[in-house]
Amino acid sequence: MTALPLEPEAGGGRFPGFVATSQIGHWDDATSAVVMARLGLPPDLRFFSPTEEAAARALFDQLLYQREDPRVPIVNMVDARLAENQTDGWHYDSMATDGEAWRSSLSALDEDAYSRHGVSFAVVPWDDQEALLQDVHDATQWHEFSGAHIWSLWTRYACTAFYSHPAAWDEIGFAGPAFPRGYKNIGVNKREPFEVADARPQQDPLRSPGTSGNGGGK
Amino acid sequence: MASVRDRNASAWLLPAGPGTNHGLRDDMRRFDDDDEVDIVIIGCGAGGSTLLQRLARAGWRAVALDAGPFWDPLKDWVSDEAGSHHLYWTEPRVISGADPVPLGSNNSGRGVGGSMVHYAGYTPRFHPSDFHTLSADGVGADWPMEYPDLAPYYEDIEGELPVAGEDWPWGDPHSYPHRPHPVSGNGELFLRGARAAGITAKVGPAAITNGRFGNRPHCIYRGFCLQGCKVNAKASPLITHIPDALNNGAEVRPNSMVTRIGIDENTGKATGVHYSRNGLERFQRARMVAVAGYSIETPRLLLNSVSQRFPDGLCNDFDQVGRYLMVQGAPQTGGRFDSEVRMWKAPPPEVSSEEFYETDPSKPYKRGFSIQTVSPLPITWAEHVTAQGHWGKDLRAYMSDYVHWACLGALCEFLPQAGNRVTLSDEKDRRGMPVAHFSYSQSDNDRQLMKAAQSAMENILRGAGADEVITIQRYAHLVGGARMAADEQHGVVDSDCRSFAVPNLLITDGSVLPTQGSANPALTIMAVTARAADKLIVRTPTGPR
Repeated sequence: MTALPLEPEAGGGRFPGFVATSQIGHWDDATSAVVMARLGLPPDLRFFSPTEEAAARALFDQLLYQREDPRVPIVNMVDARLAENQTDGWHYDSMATDGEAWRSSLSALDEDAYSRHGVSFAVVPWDDQEALLQDVHDATQWHEFSGAHIWSLWTRYACTAFYSHPAAWDEIGFAGPAFPRGYKNIGVNKREPFEVADARPQQDPLRSPGTSGNGGGK
Repeated sequence: MASVRDRNASAWLLPAGPGTNHGLRDDMRRFDDDDEVDIVIIGCGAGGSTLLQRLARAGWRAVALDAGPFWDPLKDWVSDEAGSHHLYWTEPRVISGADPVPLGSNNSGRGVGGSMVHYAGYTPRFHPSDFHTLSADGVGADWPMEYPDLAPYYEDIEGELPVAGEDWPWGDPHSYPHRPHPVSGNGELFLRGARAAGITAKVGPAAITNGRFGNRPHCIYRGFCLQGCKVNAKASPLITHIPDALNNGAEVRPNSMVTRIGIDENTGKATGVHYSRNGLERFQRARMVAVAGYSIETPRLLLNSVSQRFPDGLCNDFDQVGRYLMVQGAPQTGGRFDSEVRMWKAPPPEVSSEEFYETDPSKPYKRGFSIQTVSPLPITWAEHVTAQGHWGKDLRAYMSDYVHWACLGALCEFLPQAGNRVTLSDEKDRRGMPVAHFSYSQSDNDRQLMKAAQSAMENILRGAGADEVITIQRYAHLVGGARMAADEQHGVVDSDCRSFAVPNLLITDGSVLPTQGSANPALTIMAVTARAADKLIVRTPTGPR
């Protein structure tokens, strides 16, 4: 996969030329098999219905800001987990099991989209989708869900899929597997020969545009 | 004191370098279900494995059952965050209460080695004050033992793991068998920030070899301690106690889920365990039973073991089973530096401080907290970022800044409360066994500790030069649920881990701890079990038979 599209202001291109999988020669076989499988053809959908799939795709695109291809195939990765009932090992007593909660929350998202825009969530324009989701994020109670609980379910599954993908590691400067090689150069500002320095170390996301470029640091 | 090798040869029974002694497993003694073994142990984690090793050494015919696999680290574990999901107990559980505690990846293990397979590796001792918080501070509980009862066992286990760290100034001052590890960017910033804030911080204590130990190699600083150590450098019972147990004639029976403890209705004694293996219901006969399933599964198993003698669950005559379950408040605070920290390089357990561990009379709350380096990998770090309300474009932007962040975690001593407990849910697992329902609510003291810990971590990170700090509220560790006490009205077992209700039933895991301090519990679970094993062996001078 080529680099994931991401504009510089959103953190794209901070580690020019860095490709985590270039180190595969230094990974053990068990790890390589697990990681490289994520770069192959994604598993077919088995869990989501077509209606749920459409809502889920749009939801994941929004949560992870994937606006164009190439994308990490989040919907397939989450679908596979749900089909295999690979949960985190718990659910709130006030909420159904993960699979059921996914189905009913995607349906609730479509319900909101129909009532506000007259169409399903997947075809609502990007900015309006974003507004719908921000309302879920800010809600104490959303449909039958605690707002915090449903948001946590969505983001946990989405982020687990996205940040397991080597293309996402490239974007954040993380080299992934480190066995049997390990690290030799540990410490502040120390890098291994294969690591790439951040090209824009001052791009602290907390120093939002309009504030001082020096942050509040000492 | 005998040398480590003379009392536990595990490290010398492993192959040199990473790997598993397959011959030892292939040649393992195997008992029949109909053999009345001297003891059957349920669970092969910190408690169960230690007990197995001690009793096998003493000549007991012992078998330990575990619900999960008998891991082969080179084949079964990966140097990858998402790919390590199978290390956790992910069978269904229900959580509730005012402050429900997520289970699974954070605090529950499965398979031989238990959650020490994926713990960070911190092995601090409890402080002497931990054993009498009720008398001293009017909170928590008094143990039916004091620190000196446990001290020799701490020292033994520290030698067997072994533990690396600086000379330790807190609690009962002591030193460690291995020298402190070099620190990475994260540890360096903690030390720098602590100095600036006037707080003492020390390197360690980490149960990770620093230099060779038997055939176990030196740590390679790859940072995937929470995904299972493929190197054999980080201690877990899989490599620290199981090899020696097998070599002394013990059996480990993996993939065996115990669903009920058998009871003789006439004598009230345990007769063995009902368990499920390969889809078949089986029963292992035993003269004695030890439960070591940890704070959720131990109470679940006891509550599910109903008989005429124990209609409300085994050992539950006084409604104590499942109660006083504790988690530690474990806020984590990240700090942003223009320098590159790359906190994922090197083991997460590096530097810690117990400066805030004890009750400070000038504060409105009792007891305290510890602070340690933690080094979240990308998926976990994304949880930190989403917890700040970021998603979409903001999330990607924050995550692209990952190399610049350092992260500290606190362990706050949450107090035991009767209402924080495990009960059986109406929901069933695939075997038809009711799943555990864990209800948890914080006390006012708990909440104050969380705030104080956050503020201390922010001070340290700002002292090190962080220009921004972010905090995520979370929990860590489990203890309690079948606690030890002076009598059966206040607990389930005595100080030797013998259940009050059933003469031949022990509980040897974290569920017996009455309080938790602000220490990671693994070392104490092992020490309490090693002591219980000693007492058991001494009580049976003619041998088990």
